[in-house]
Amino acid sequence: MSRKFKILIVTILVLSLLTTLFAGCSSKNSSETQQKETQQAAQNTNSSDPENKHFYSEKPLEFTMLYSEHPAYPYKEDWLLWKAIKDMTNVSLKLTVVPMSDYDQKRSLLISTGEAPEIIPKTYPGQEVPFIPSGAILPISDYIDEMPNFSRQIKEWNLQDDLNTLKQKDGKFYVLPGLHEIFVQDYSLAIRLDIFEKNNIPVPNSWDELYDALKKLKEIYPNIIPFSDRWQGKSLLNVAAPTFGVQAGWGAGNGMYYYRDKDEFGFYPITDDYKNMLSYFNKLVKEGLMDPESFTQNDDQAIQKFVTGKSFVISTNSQELVNLRNKMKETMGEDAFKVVKILPPAGPKGAVVAGGRLENGIMISKNALKNPNFHEMLKFIDWLWYSEEGQTLTKWGVEGVTYKKVDGKFELMPDVTAGFLGLNPNGTKDLRKDFGFGNGVFILMYGGPKELAYSYMSDEDRKFAEELDKTRELLPPAPPVLFDEVQREQANMISQPLMDYVEQMTLKFILGQASLEKDWDNYVQQCRAKGADKLTQLTNEVYKSTKDMLK
Amino acid sequence: MNVEVTNKEFIELPSMNEKSNFKKTLKAIRKDWQLYSLLILPLAHYLIFRYIPMYGNIIAFRKYYPGGPVYGSEWVGLRYFKMFLTDPTFWNVFKNTVILGLEYLVISFPFPIVFALLLNELHNQLFKRFTQTVSYLPHFISVVIVAEMIIELLSPSRGVVNIILKHFTGNTINFLAEPAWFRTIYIVSGIWQEMGWGAIIYLAALSNINPELYEAAIIDGANKWQQIRYITIPGIMPTIMILLILNIGNLMNSAFEKILLLYNPLTYETADVISTYLYRMGLEMNNFSYAAAIGMFESIIGLILLGTANYISKRLTETSLW
Amino acid sequence: MKVSRGEKIFNIMNIIIMIIVIIATLYPFLYLTAISFSSEKYVYAGEITLLPKGFTMKTYQVLLSEKLFWISYKNTIVYTLVGTFISLFLSTLLAYPLSKKHLKGRGIILGLVVFTMFFSGGLIPTYLLVNALGMRNTIWAVVIPGAINTYYVIVMKTFFEGLPVELEEAAAIDGMNTYGILLHIVLPLSMPMMAAMTLFYAVGMWNNWFGPFIYLDKRELFPAALYLRNIIAGAQQTAVSSGSNIGDLEQIEATVKSAAMILTALPIIMVYPFLQKYFVKGVMIGSLKG
Repeated sequence: MSRKFKILIVTILVLSLLTTLFAGCSSKNSSETQQKETQQAAQNTNSSDPENKHFYSEKPLEFTMLYSEHPAYPYKEDWLLWKAIKDMTNVSLKLTVVPMSDYDQKRSLLISTGEAPEIIPKTYPGQEVPFIPSGAILPISDYIDEMPNFSRQIKEWNLQDDLNTLKQKDGKFYVLPGLHEIFVQDYSLAIRLDIFEKNNIPVPNSWDELYDALKKLKEIYPNIIPFSDRWQGKSLLNVAAPTFGVQAGWGAGNGMYYYRDKDEFGFYPITDDYKNMLSYFNKLVKEGLMDPESFTQNDDQAIQKFVTGKSFVISTNSQELVNLRNKMKETMGEDAFKVVKILPPAGPKGAVVAGGRLENGIMISKNALKNPNFHEMLKFIDWLWYSEEGQTLTKWGVEGVTYKKVDGKFELMPDVTAGFLGLNPNGTKDLRKDFGFGNGVFILMYGGPKELAYSYMSDEDRKFAEELDKTRELLPPAPPVLFDEVQREQANMISQPLMDYVEQMTLKFILGQASLEKDWDNYVQQCRAKGADKLTQLTNEVYKSTKDMLK
Repeated sequence: MNVEVTNKEFIELPSMNEKSNFKKTLKAIRKDWQLYSLLILPLAHYLIFRYIPMYGNIIAFRKYYPGGPVYGSEWVGLRYFKMFLTDPTFWNVFKNTVILGLEYLVISFPFPIVFALLLNELHNQLFKRFTQTVSYLPHFISVVIVAEMIIELLSPSRGVVNIILKHFTGNTINFLAEPAWFRTIYIVSGIWQEMGWGAIIYLAALSNINPELYEAAIIDGANKWQQIRYITIPGIMPTIMILLILNIGNLMNSAFEKILLLYNPLTYETADVISTYLYRMGLEMNNFSYAAAIGMFESIIGLILLGTANYISKRLTETSLW
Repeated sequence: MKVSRGEKIFNIMNIIIMIIVIIATLYPFLYLTAISFSSEKYVYAGEITLLPKGFTMKTYQVLLSEKLFWISYKNTIVYTLVGTFISLFLSTLLAYPLSKKHLKGRGIILGLVVFTMFFSGGLIPTYLLVNALGMRNTIWAVVIPGAINTYYVIVMKTFFEGLPVELEEAAAIDGMNTYGILLHIVLPLSMPMMAAMTLFYAVGMWNNWFGPFIYLDKRELFPAALYLRNIIAGAQQTAVSSGSNIGDLEQIEATVKSAAMILTALPIIMVYPFLQKYFVKGVMIGSLKG
């Protein structure tokens, strides 16, 4: 028996070794071609159109691209979108179609195996980081000189600080972010305005006012828990945190908070500010104003409570607001309700909102360098994702076919419908499903130049955006910390378990499973034991030694 | 490809050390060459699709950068093993993985067997077939929807379970926020989903029992219970033991996706297993080498568990993999 | 035949237990069916329990009018037929010789086979291999790399071991070779197990989304399972990730999810009743006489 086992082990070892050697030969030559290509860069500029407003290639080109297929508008080969792109630029896109549900995994696999298409869209800043050390994706910052639309927007829209947050250890950045001219804080709270008005409760403008409002509602409707949240409370905490001077929920990050006055980072979850926020929400839960299920139920359940009148407040964004209304039309009847999105409530640190104007964008794989038309590709990307002409095409389609302009405003043709914008509900052909426009791979809902962003908004959304702009202060982005590979690994090894613990205790404190009076000190100690101080120290060291690189 | 040669090498390997046995082996091969010839295709499949890619495991000892060389960029030795072996959180999730796997195995394993035996005792064929078909339906419901149903069922405000609970005790329980309930939820839903499906294999084994044995037993005056005890169960015992051994080997593989959909920070205490911990870690850092090291660790444990179970089974019931 | 009192009680209890099982397992399926046939109004309000409210076929009409749905359906059928055949073929070839305890080298081969249950090369090397073999974007990438399930092979092997050797020996004496014995004696005797394996492999292939997801890049090659996965899990994922791009948050309605799931699961569920006739006592004897 034992002899057999030995033989088994030996056989396996030999086989693995053989195959290792076999595979070793195949994958070496990577970063040599890189330099050469860069040299002959900007010479391809079309002198008649230095701003790349209209891109057109004389010879037909083909680029490969990764495509995330949204289940609500499944990919079609015969979309007008593809034909229109071809007509306007003489470029055809050869797609690798990936279901949206597992897009990240396939992207990672394709890049890891060297099989990635040239253009890799829908990459959120941060997602590019793992692929940097191997050189599998290009430092796009080296090429932005060849992208006039992008460069111009960075300058004109004052986005340089935001862009800096993408920088890596080498001072370069590797993802071409989607850009917003206007900042849109889309997530906030939806309230049942009709109920508020009926009971003479003013629309809350701060967290304290929200508390008062909920309290009144509770008095009037004792059997109802007025606030039942969705997204496991992560959107709510994300919106609330900046007004308490911390981060939380979707924006919890790795526990580091940038204190501008001291120009250093600190571990926010053990601060008094954080404790204040927790005690606020704990108060809501304790007094029966907020549904404790908010943090465990799924979205459908939370929505069901809201649309059947079993709760009056819920987190939302503009898209979901439209959905809520559509559902309530069905459940309650056309005029039986009024739902509005309120401005993000203000807190102890003022009426502030956090967020950036960068969005998911594009990585370019190193395979693109092999394409003899690499520089045209850059121009093409710059045109399609950043130029006004390109964005008009991907957002609205072809003039005269899908839309027309009336008094400078975009209007869909009468037979075209766009359910996701709530436009022309009676049209027979869908802007997304049947034509491929309004496609999340190519557009940002409220991204791009102001006029195009506004064109996708209802009057209500637009008012909200303008109101927000007037009454809320956008916090500047925290500077990036330029970790190298080893430091990043070290930081992550500390922050993951640490933040798991923080997240867990956050919910326990809010739900009252842990007491803010009795258990807080122990919680702080636990955080320290799990490396909070070490993480802070490491972050500050790296930050101080590298911050000059950002200038 | 010299697949055939390689296969023969496997087969001849045991004789290498003993020259005296060489002739015997040759004789055996000559005698059974037709049996060996059947093995060529499947073994070639294993060699190509299972063993060639094995070199990928090397990245547990080498730093791998996604997009870099597949076998890693630099030697780091046991760095990643040390990393998780010294990580207290890892041992927490390790403990959870073992407990969850063990409880699930012990509790759920008998269900398909008992169910198959009970089905076997139904006299009405139509009813039997109907029950059988219906019982395996849950296997086809996507885990996402299963999770949604569980959450709905257990909802403190509207779930059936809590409505009943409130009726009798006056209280409700927010099951999904209580670490103490997580394993129960996981196990019960697992049994519900897989019992009927798991019974199929036993039904197949049952139909292989020689009916003459029952006839003889009835003549001897054996009652139902005695028939089950002395004919049916021994008849399917090898299948039961083999499945038990295999499942013990798979103890550490919990239903990752289901956990991911059902757990939340409040229940990490009991619900967080190795795979979900790695998943959260991966979201942050995409560290393939670290994952490979943990994977290797899990595999070794699985292999040891399987080997031990096999050994014990061989001693006790004479059923074994080998 | 006389039936004892205890046996009567047992039979009644048994039927009661079975009815409970039926309720527990059938209800969720009926519930999903009800949702898929209900109008959205009642689904939003959470009013569906067992029967559809505001009966409508709209959801199905929309799904079935989708050309891609039919293409993926066709793909699934082809992948399942071809894949199940290959899997059964290879598994039988492996399990049968391994059931012969006298076979030299059996232990080693079994060891190597079982070893792969725990150690695999991982996704990336396997992908590179399949790519190097030129299988990417073909049916072969879907049906071949995962063709043999070691777990099932072990179960098959155990079953073969339980077959009476006398029959095989008799056939051998009559001059039948190993292939003949396998084909004419062993397989007919193993119909219950082969039926179970057919079902397992077929269901596995039918529901397999991961292989196709990894190896297929073209929409027209996708199987229904992948289509379904995107519908059911896609909406989930967008809601889980911070969802910063609102444009992608268009939700898939519960009615569509349920209908898609039922449409995808139904055909493969229908296979079972046809295989069931093999799970009957005495098949073995019957096949011997025939």
